Amino acid sequence: MQEATLHGGFSAVHEPVTREDVAETHDDRRTAAACAAGDSLVFEKIYRDHSARMKSIAYNHLGTVADAEDAVQETFLKIHRAASTYTGEASFATWIYRILINTCYDALRKRRRRREEATLDDVPESAERTAPTVDDAKRLTLRKLLDRLPEQRRSVFTLFEIEGLSHAEIASILDITEGNSKWILFSTKKQLQEQWKRK
Amino acid sequence: MTITCGNFDDLLLEGDTFAMQLAAQHARTCDACAEKFAAWNDISDTAQSLHTEWQTDMLWPRIQRELAVEKRKRFTAAAWRIAAAIILTIGLGGGAWFAVQRSRDAAFDRAILRASALDEVERAEQAHIAAINHLEQVANEKLERSKSPLMVSYKEKLMLLDDAIAECQTNIDRNRQNANLRKQLLAVYSEKQRTLEEVMREGTHASNQ
Repeated sequence: MQEATLHGGFSAVHEPVTREDVAETHDDRRTAAACAAGDSLVFEKIYRDHSARMKSIAYNHLGTVADAEDAVQETFLKIHRAASTYTGEASFATWIYRILINTCYDALRKRRRRREEATLDDVPESAERTAPTVDDAKRLTLRKLLDRLPEQRRSVFTLFEIEGLSHAEIASILDITEGNSKWILFSTKKQLQEQWKRK
Repeated sequence: MTITCGNFDDLLLEGDTFAMQLAAQHARTCDACAEKFAAWNDISDTAQSLHTEWQTDMLWPRIQRELAVEKRKRFTAAAWRIAAAIILTIGLGGGAWFAVQRSRDAAFDRAILRASALDEVERAEQAHIAAINHLEQVANEKLERSKSPLMVSYKEKLMLLDDAIAECQTNIDRNRQNANLRKQLLAVYSEKQRTLEEVMREGTHASNQ
Protein backbone atom coordinates (compact mmCIF):
# COMPACT_ATOMS: atom_id res chain seq x y z
CA MET A 1 0.00 0.00 0.00
CA GLN A 2 1.48 3.33 -0.95
CA GLU A 3 1.43 5.94 1.83
CA ALA A 4 1.62 9.16 -0.09
CA THR A 5 1.62 12.62 1.37
CA LEU A 6 0.43 15.41 -0.83
CA HIS A 7 2.88 18.05 -1.89
CA GLY A 8 1.98 21.14 0.07
CA GLY A 9 1.34 18.85 3.00
CA PHE A 10 -1.55 17.25 4.80
CA SER A 11 -1.37 17.79 8.51
CA ALA A 12 -1.59 14.38 10.15
CA VAL A 13 -4.51 13.90 12.53
CA HIS A 14 -3.85 12.98 16.19
CA GLU A 15 -0.19 14.01 16.07
CA PRO A 16 1.26 16.66 18.40
CA VAL A 17 1.46 20.12 16.87
CA THR A 18 5.05 20.97 15.95
CA ARG A 19 6.77 24.24 15.07
CA GLU A 20 6.78 23.06 11.43
CA ASP A 21 2.99 22.60 11.56
CA VAL A 22 2.54 26.16 12.79
CA ALA A 23 4.84 27.50 10.07
CA GLU A 24 2.95 25.45 7.51
CA THR A 25 -0.36 26.93 8.67
CA HIS A 26 1.08 30.44 8.24
CA ASP A 27 2.28 29.49 4.76
CA ASP A 28 -1.13 28.07 3.91
CA ARG A 29 -2.81 31.28 5.07
CA ARG A 30 -0.41 33.35 2.98
CA THR A 31 -1.14 31.13 -0.03
CA ALA A 32 -4.88 31.50 0.53
CA ALA A 33 -4.56 35.28 0.82
CA ALA A 34 -2.59 35.37 -2.44
CA CYS A 35 -5.29 33.22 -4.11
CA ALA A 36 -7.99 35.57 -2.85
CA ALA A 37 -6.07 38.47 -4.38
CA GLY A 38 -5.88 36.53 -7.67
CA ASP A 39 -2.08 36.13 -7.73
CA SER A 40 -1.55 34.11 -10.91
CA LEU A 41 1.95 32.95 -9.87
CA VAL A 42 0.51 31.28 -6.76
CA PHE A 43 -2.20 29.63 -8.84
CA GLU A 44 0.44 28.40 -11.26
CA LYS A 45 2.40 26.85 -8.39
CA ILE A 46 -0.73 25.14 -7.07
CA TYR A 47 -1.39 23.86 -10.57
CA ARG A 48 2.16 22.53 -10.90
CA ASP A 49 2.04 20.84 -7.49
CA HIS A 50 -1.46 19.37 -7.49
CA SER A 51 -2.96 19.22 -10.97
CA ALA A 52 -1.74 15.68 -11.79
CA ARG A 53 -3.38 14.17 -8.73
CA MET A 54 -6.41 16.45 -9.05
CA LYS A 55 -6.99 15.29 -12.62
CA SER A 56 -6.66 11.63 -11.61
CA ILE A 57 -9.10 12.01 -8.69
CA ALA A 58 -11.59 13.84 -10.90
CA TYR A 59 -11.15 11.28 -13.68
CA ASN A 60 -11.81 8.41 -11.27
CA HIS A 61 -14.96 10.14 -10.04
CA LEU A 62 -16.33 11.36 -13.35
CA GLY A 63 -15.00 8.79 -15.82
CA THR A 64 -14.09 11.10 -18.71
CA VAL A 65 -11.08 13.29 -19.41
CA ALA A 66 -13.20 16.26 -20.50
CA ASP A 67 -15.31 16.18 -17.34
CA ALA A 68 -12.20 15.71 -15.19
CA GLU A 69 -10.52 18.76 -16.74
CA ASP A 70 -13.71 20.79 -16.37
CA ALA A 71 -13.88 19.81 -12.69
CA VAL A 72 -10.25 20.83 -12.12
CA GLN A 73 -10.86 24.16 -13.88
CA GLU A 74 -14.02 24.74 -11.80
CA THR A 75 -12.06 23.89 -8.64
CA PHE A 76 -9.50 26.61 -9.41
CA LEU A 77 -12.29 29.16 -9.88
CA LYS A 78 -13.86 28.07 -6.58
CA ILE A 79 -10.48 28.40 -4.85
CA HIS A 80 -10.24 31.98 -6.16
CA ARG A 81 -13.80 32.77 -5.02
CA ALA A 82 -13.55 31.15 -1.58
CA ALA A 83 -9.89 31.66 -0.64
CA SER A 84 -10.81 34.59 1.61
CA THR A 85 -12.93 32.19 3.72
CA TYR A 86 -10.02 29.75 4.30
CA THR A 87 -9.48 29.60 8.07
CA GLY A 88 -6.41 27.37 8.28
CA GLU A 89 -8.29 24.67 10.21
CA ALA A 90 -7.22 22.06 7.66
CA SER A 91 -4.15 22.31 5.46
CA PHE A 92 -4.55 24.24 2.22
CA ALA A 93 -4.01 21.02 0.23
CA THR A 94 -6.82 19.28 2.15
CA TRP A 95 -9.05 22.27 1.50
CA ILE A 96 -8.30 22.15 -2.26
CA TYR A 97 -9.04 18.42 -2.48
CA ARG A 98 -12.26 18.91 -0.51
CA ILE A 99 -13.37 21.52 -3.05
CA LEU A 100 -12.40 19.17 -5.90
CA ILE A 101 -14.39 16.24 -4.44
CA ASN A 102 -17.43 18.48 -3.93
CA THR A 103 -17.11 19.76 -7.49
CA CYS A 104 -17.06 16.16 -8.71
CA TYR A 105 -20.19 15.41 -6.65
CA ASP A 106 -21.93 18.42 -8.21
CA ALA A 107 -20.96 17.25 -11.68
CA LEU A 108 -22.20 13.72 -10.95
CA ARG A 109 -25.53 15.08 -9.68
CA LYS A 110 -25.90 17.28 -12.75
CA ARG A 111 -25.11 14.33 -14.95
CA ARG A 112 -27.64 12.16 -13.10
CA ARG A 113 -30.22 14.85 -13.68
CA ARG A 114 -29.43 14.92 -17.37
CA ARG A 115 -29.47 11.10 -17.34
CA GLU A 116 -26.31 11.01 -19.32
CA GLU A 117 -24.20 7.91 -19.48
CA ALA A 118 -20.52 8.47 -18.78
CA THR A 119 -18.18 6.83 -21.26
CA LEU A 120 -16.09 4.76 -18.93
CA ASP A 121 -13.51 3.63 -21.46
CA ASP A 122 -12.60 7.17 -22.49
CA VAL A 123 -8.97 6.85 -21.42
CA PRO A 124 -6.59 9.58 -22.64
CA GLU A 125 -4.18 8.52 -25.36
CA SER A 126 -1.13 9.79 -23.50
CA ALA A 127 -2.16 8.19 -20.21
CA GLU A 128 0.65 6.78 -18.14
CA ARG A 129 -0.32 3.79 -16.06
CA THR A 130 1.59 2.84 -12.98
CA ALA A 131 0.97 -0.90 -13.53
CA PRO A 132 0.68 -1.59 -17.27
CA THR A 133 0.68 -5.37 -16.70
CA VAL A 134 -2.79 -5.39 -15.09
CA ASP A 135 -5.46 -6.73 -17.35
CA ASP A 136 -7.48 -4.00 -19.13
CA ALA A 137 -10.65 -6.05 -18.69
CA LYS A 138 -10.20 -6.04 -14.92
CA ARG A 139 -9.65 -2.30 -14.98
CA LEU A 140 -12.80 -1.74 -16.99
CA THR A 141 -14.77 -4.02 -14.66
CA LEU A 142 -13.54 -2.16 -11.60
CA ARG A 143 -14.35 1.22 -13.18
CA LYS A 144 -17.88 0.05 -13.91
CA LEU A 145 -18.29 -1.22 -10.34
CA LEU A 146 -16.93 2.05 -8.94
CA ASP A 147 -19.35 4.00 -11.10
CA ARG A 148 -22.25 2.32 -9.30
CA LEU A 149 -20.98 3.13 -5.81
CA PRO A 150 -22.49 5.89 -3.68
CA GLU A 151 -20.48 9.14 -3.70
CA GLN A 152 -18.76 8.78 -0.32
CA ARG A 153 -17.78 5.13 -0.81
CA ARG A 154 -16.39 5.93 -4.21
CA SER A 155 -14.37 8.83 -2.81
CA VAL A 156 -12.87 6.79 0.04
CA PHE A 157 -11.97 3.94 -2.30
CA THR A 158 -10.51 6.30 -4.93
CA LEU A 159 -8.47 8.33 -2.47
CA PHE A 160 -7.10 5.29 -0.58
CA GLU A 161 -6.71 2.56 -3.18
CA ILE A 162 -6.12 4.58 -6.34
CA GLU A 163 -4.46 7.75 -5.08
CA GLY A 164 -2.73 6.18 -2.07
CA LEU A 165 -3.79 8.71 0.55
CA SER A 166 -3.83 7.71 4.23
CA HIS A 167 -7.02 7.35 6.24
CA ALA A 168 -6.05 10.45 8.23
CA GLU A 169 -5.82 12.48 5.03
CA ILE A 170 -9.08 11.07 3.67
CA ALA A 171 -10.83 11.79 6.96
CA SER A 172 -9.66 15.38 6.75
CA ILE A 173 -10.78 15.82 3.13
CA LEU A 174 -14.19 14.18 3.52
CA ASP A 175 -14.82 15.56 7.02
CA ILE A 176 -15.26 12.14 8.62
CA THR A 177 -13.34 10.26 11.30
CA GLU A 178 -10.35 8.06 10.54
CA GLY A 179 -12.23 5.02 11.88
CA ASN A 180 -15.16 5.86 9.67
CA SER A 181 -12.86 6.06 6.66
CA LYS A 182 -11.44 2.58 7.48
CA TRP A 183 -14.91 1.13 7.90
CA ILE A 184 -16.22 2.66 4.65
CA LEU A 185 -13.22 1.30 2.74
CA PHE A 186 -13.64 -2.18 4.28
CA SER A 187 -17.36 -2.40 3.54
CA THR A 188 -16.86 -1.00 0.03
CA LYS A 189 -14.19 -3.60 -0.73
CA LYS A 190 -16.45 -6.32 0.67
CA GLN A 191 -19.22 -5.16 -1.63
CA LEU A 192 -16.85 -4.99 -4.61
CA GLN A 193 -15.45 -8.43 -3.73
CA GLU A 194 -18.91 -10.00 -4.10
CA GLN A 195 -19.42 -8.38 -7.49
CA TRP A 196 -15.80 -9.10 -8.47
CA LYS A 197 -16.34 -12.83 -7.98
CA ARG A 198 -19.44 -12.78 -10.20
CA LYS A 199 -17.65 -11.08 -13.11
CA MET B 1 -0.65 -14.91 17.61
CA THR B 2 -3.31 -17.35 16.35
CA ILE B 3 -5.49 -16.11 13.54
CA THR B 4 -8.84 -17.76 12.90
CA CYS B 5 -11.30 -17.36 10.01
CA GLY B 6 -13.52 -15.50 12.52
CA ASN B 7 -11.09 -12.60 12.96
CA PHE B 8 -9.78 -12.59 9.38
CA ASP B 9 -12.18 -9.74 8.47
CA ASP B 10 -10.88 -7.69 11.42
CA LEU B 11 -7.41 -7.81 9.87
CA LEU B 12 -8.76 -6.68 6.50
CA LEU B 13 -10.64 -3.85 8.24
CA GLU B 14 -7.47 -2.70 10.00
CA GLY B 15 -5.65 -2.86 6.66
CA ASP B 16 -2.18 -1.75 7.87
CA THR B 17 1.01 -3.59 6.90
CA PHE B 18 1.16 -5.73 10.05
CA ALA B 19 -2.50 -6.74 9.81
CA MET B 20 -2.10 -7.63 6.14
CA GLN B 21 0.99 -9.76 6.94
CA LEU B 22 -1.02 -11.69 9.54
CA ALA B 23 -3.87 -12.11 7.05
CA ALA B 24 -1.44 -13.46 4.42
CA GLN B 25 0.00 -15.86 7.00
CA HIS B 26 -3.50 -17.21 7.78
CA ALA B 27 -4.44 -17.38 4.07
CA ARG B 28 -1.55 -19.79 3.49
CA THR B 29 -3.21 -22.28 5.84
CA CYS B 30 -6.89 -21.79 4.85
CA ASP B 31 -8.23 -22.23 1.30
CA ALA B 32 -11.46 -20.26 1.83
CA CYS B 33 -9.64 -17.27 3.33
CA ALA B 34 -6.91 -17.57 0.66
CA GLU B 35 -9.51 -17.14 -2.08
CA LYS B 36 -11.01 -14.14 -0.25
CA PHE B 37 -7.56 -12.64 0.28
CA ALA B 38 -6.61 -13.09 -3.37
CA ALA B 39 -9.75 -11.28 -4.53
CA TRP B 40 -9.10 -8.56 -1.93
CA ASN B 41 -5.56 -7.99 -3.21
CA ASP B 42 -6.67 -8.27 -6.82
CA ILE B 43 -9.06 -5.35 -6.29
CA SER B 44 -6.30 -3.31 -4.63
CA ASP B 45 -3.81 -4.07 -7.43
CA THR B 46 -6.33 -3.23 -10.13
CA ALA B 47 -7.30 -0.07 -8.25
CA GLN B 48 -3.68 1.11 -8.11
CA SER B 49 -3.49 0.80 -11.88
CA LEU B 50 -6.46 3.16 -12.21
CA HIS B 51 -4.32 6.14 -11.19
CA THR B 52 -4.25 8.02 -14.46
CA GLU B 53 -1.98 10.82 -15.54
CA TRP B 54 -1.99 12.66 -18.83
CA GLN B 55 -0.32 15.69 -20.28
CA THR B 56 -2.51 18.53 -21.36
CA ASP B 57 -1.21 21.84 -22.67
CA MET B 58 -4.64 23.41 -22.87
CA LEU B 59 -5.87 23.13 -19.27
CA TRP B 60 -3.63 25.71 -17.57
CA PRO B 61 -4.21 28.41 -20.26
CA ARG B 62 -7.96 27.70 -19.94
CA ILE B 63 -7.80 28.07 -16.15
CA GLN B 64 -5.72 31.26 -16.48
CA ARG B 65 -8.27 32.72 -18.92
CA GLU B 66 -11.19 31.85 -16.63
CA LEU B 67 -9.39 33.28 -13.60
CA ALA B 68 -8.79 36.54 -15.50
CA VAL B 69 -12.50 36.69 -16.41
CA GLU B 70 -13.40 35.95 -12.79
CA LYS B 71 -11.08 38.74 -11.58
CA ARG B 72 -12.65 41.19 -14.03
CA LYS B 73 -16.14 40.11 -12.92
CA ARG B 74 -15.15 40.60 -9.29
CA PHE B 75 -13.81 44.08 -10.04
CA THR B 76 -16.99 45.00 -11.94
CA ALA B 77 -19.17 43.59 -9.16
CA ALA B 78 -17.20 45.57 -6.56
CA ALA B 79 -17.53 48.73 -8.65
CA TRP B 80 -21.27 48.14 -8.96
CA ARG B 81 -21.56 47.56 -5.24
CA ILE B 82 -19.74 50.83 -4.50
CA ALA B 83 -21.90 52.69 -7.05
CA ALA B 84 -25.05 51.14 -5.56
CA ALA B 85 -23.91 52.13 -2.05
CA ILE B 86 -23.28 55.71 -3.20
CA ILE B 87 -26.66 55.91 -4.97
CA LEU B 88 -28.39 54.42 -1.93
CA THR B 89 -26.66 56.87 0.41
CA ILE B 90 -27.59 59.82 -1.81
CA GLY B 91 -31.15 58.50 -2.17
CA LEU B 92 -31.62 57.95 1.56
CA GLY B 93 -29.98 61.29 2.41
CA GLY B 94 -32.12 63.11 -0.14
CA GLY B 95 -35.24 61.35 1.08
CA ALA B 96 -34.49 62.23 4.69
CA TRP B 97 -33.77 65.86 3.77
CA PHE B 98 -37.01 66.03 1.76
CA ALA B 99 -38.99 64.48 4.64
CA VAL B 100 -37.53 66.97 7.13
CA GLN B 101 -38.31 69.87 4.78
CA ARG B 102 -41.86 68.62 4.27
CA SER B 103 -42.48 68.20 7.98
CA ARG B 104 -41.11 71.74 8.58
CA ASP B 105 -43.44 73.13 5.88
CA ALA B 106 -46.37 71.20 7.31
CA ALA B 107 -45.65 72.51 10.82
CA PHE B 108 -45.46 76.05 9.41
CA ASP B 109 -48.77 75.53 7.54
CA ARG B 110 -50.42 74.13 10.66
CA ALA B 111 -49.21 77.12 12.71
CA ILE B 112 -50.55 79.55 10.07
CA LEU B 113 -53.91 77.76 9.98
CA ARG B 114 -54.15 77.76 13.77
CA ALA B 115 -53.34 81.48 13.93
CA SER B 116 -55.84 82.36 11.20
CA ALA B 117 -58.58 80.26 12.88
CA LEU B 118 -57.88 82.09 16.13
CA ASP B 119 -58.05 85.45 14.40
CA GLU B 120 -61.41 84.49 12.89
CA VAL B 121 -62.77 83.50 16.31
CA GLU B 122 -61.54 86.73 17.84
CA ARG B 123 -63.09 88.78 15.03
CA ALA B 124 -66.45 87.04 15.55
CA GLU B 125 -66.17 87.58 19.31
CA GLN B 126 -65.45 91.29 18.86
CA ALA B 127 -68.43 91.69 16.54
CA HIS B 128 -70.62 89.85 19.08
CA ILE B 129 -69.31 92.02 21.95
CA ALA B 130 -69.83 95.20 19.92
CA ALA B 131 -73.47 94.19 19.26
CA ILE B 132 -74.03 93.42 22.96
CA ASN B 133 -72.37 96.74 23.97
CA HIS B 134 -74.70 98.55 21.59
CA LEU B 135 -77.66 96.74 23.17
CA GLU B 136 -76.29 97.65 26.62
CA GLN B 137 -76.21 101.37 25.73
CA VAL B 138 -79.86 101.24 24.69
CA ALA B 139 -80.85 99.18 27.77
CA ASN B 140 -78.84 101.43 30.14
CA GLU B 141 -81.10 104.38 29.38
CA LYS B 142 -84.12 102.30 30.49
CA LEU B 143 -82.30 100.97 33.57
CA GLU B 144 -81.37 104.53 34.64
CA ARG B 145 -84.90 105.82 34.12
CA SER B 146 -86.76 103.05 35.98
CA LYS B 147 -86.54 102.73 39.79
CA SER B 148 -88.53 99.45 40.04
CA PRO B 149 -87.02 96.69 42.19
CA LEU B 150 -86.91 94.40 39.12
CA MET B 151 -84.78 96.85 37.17
CA VAL B 152 -82.49 97.30 40.21
CA SER B 153 -81.98 93.54 40.38
CA TYR B 154 -81.27 93.45 36.57
CA LYS B 155 -78.73 96.22 37.11
CA GLU B 156 -77.00 94.20 39.86
CA LYS B 157 -77.04 91.07 37.70
CA LEU B 158 -75.47 92.99 34.80
CA MET B 159 -72.75 94.29 37.12
CA LEU B 160 -71.94 90.71 38.24
CA LEU B 161 -71.89 89.57 34.61
CA ASP B 162 -69.48 92.44 33.71
CA ASP B 163 -67.17 91.37 36.54
CA ALA B 164 -67.25 87.76 35.26
CA ILE B 165 -66.52 89.01 31.70
CA ALA B 166 -63.56 91.09 32.92
CA GLU B 167 -62.12 88.09 34.84
CA CYS B 168 -62.57 85.80 31.86
CA GLN B 169 -60.95 88.35 29.55
CA THR B 170 -57.94 88.67 31.89
CA ASN B 171 -57.49 84.88 31.83
CA ILE B 172 -57.85 84.77 28.04
CA ASP B 173 -55.19 87.46 27.64
CA ARG B 174 -52.84 85.17 29.56
CA ASN B 175 -53.69 82.12 27.40
CA ARG B 176 -55.10 83.04 24.01
CA GLN B 177 -55.46 79.49 22.79
CA ASN B 178 -57.58 78.19 25.69
CA ALA B 179 -60.85 77.25 24.00
CA ASN B 180 -62.54 76.50 27.34
CA LEU B 181 -62.09 80.07 28.59
CA ARG B 182 -63.47 81.35 25.30
CA LYS B 183 -66.54 79.12 25.73
CA GLN B 184 -67.01 80.47 29.28
CA LEU B 185 -66.72 84.07 28.00
CA LEU B 186 -69.27 83.31 25.27
CA ALA B 187 -71.66 81.81 27.85
CA VAL B 188 -71.35 84.93 30.08
CA TYR B 189 -71.90 87.22 27.08
CA SER B 190 -74.94 85.14 26.03
CA GLU B 191 -76.32 85.50 29.56
CA LYS B 192 -75.66 89.28 29.42
CA GLN B 193 -77.40 89.45 26.02
CA ARG B 194 -80.42 87.54 27.40
CA THR B 195 -80.54 89.83 30.49
CA LEU B 196 -80.34 92.97 28.31
CA GLU B 197 -83.15 91.63 26.09
CA GLU B 198 -85.26 91.02 29.22
CA VAL B 199 -84.47 94.60 30.39
CA MET B 200 -85.59 95.91 26.98
CA ARG B 201 -88.79 93.84 27.15
CA GLU B 202 -89.57 94.92 30.73
CA GLY B 203 -88.82 98.57 29.84
CA THR B 204 -91.21 98.50 26.83
CA HIS B 205 -93.91 96.74 28.92
CA ALA B 206 -93.59 99.36 31.74
CA SER B 207 -93.75 102.32 29.30
CA ASN B 208 -96.91 100.84 27.67
CA GLN B 209 -98.56 100.68 31.11
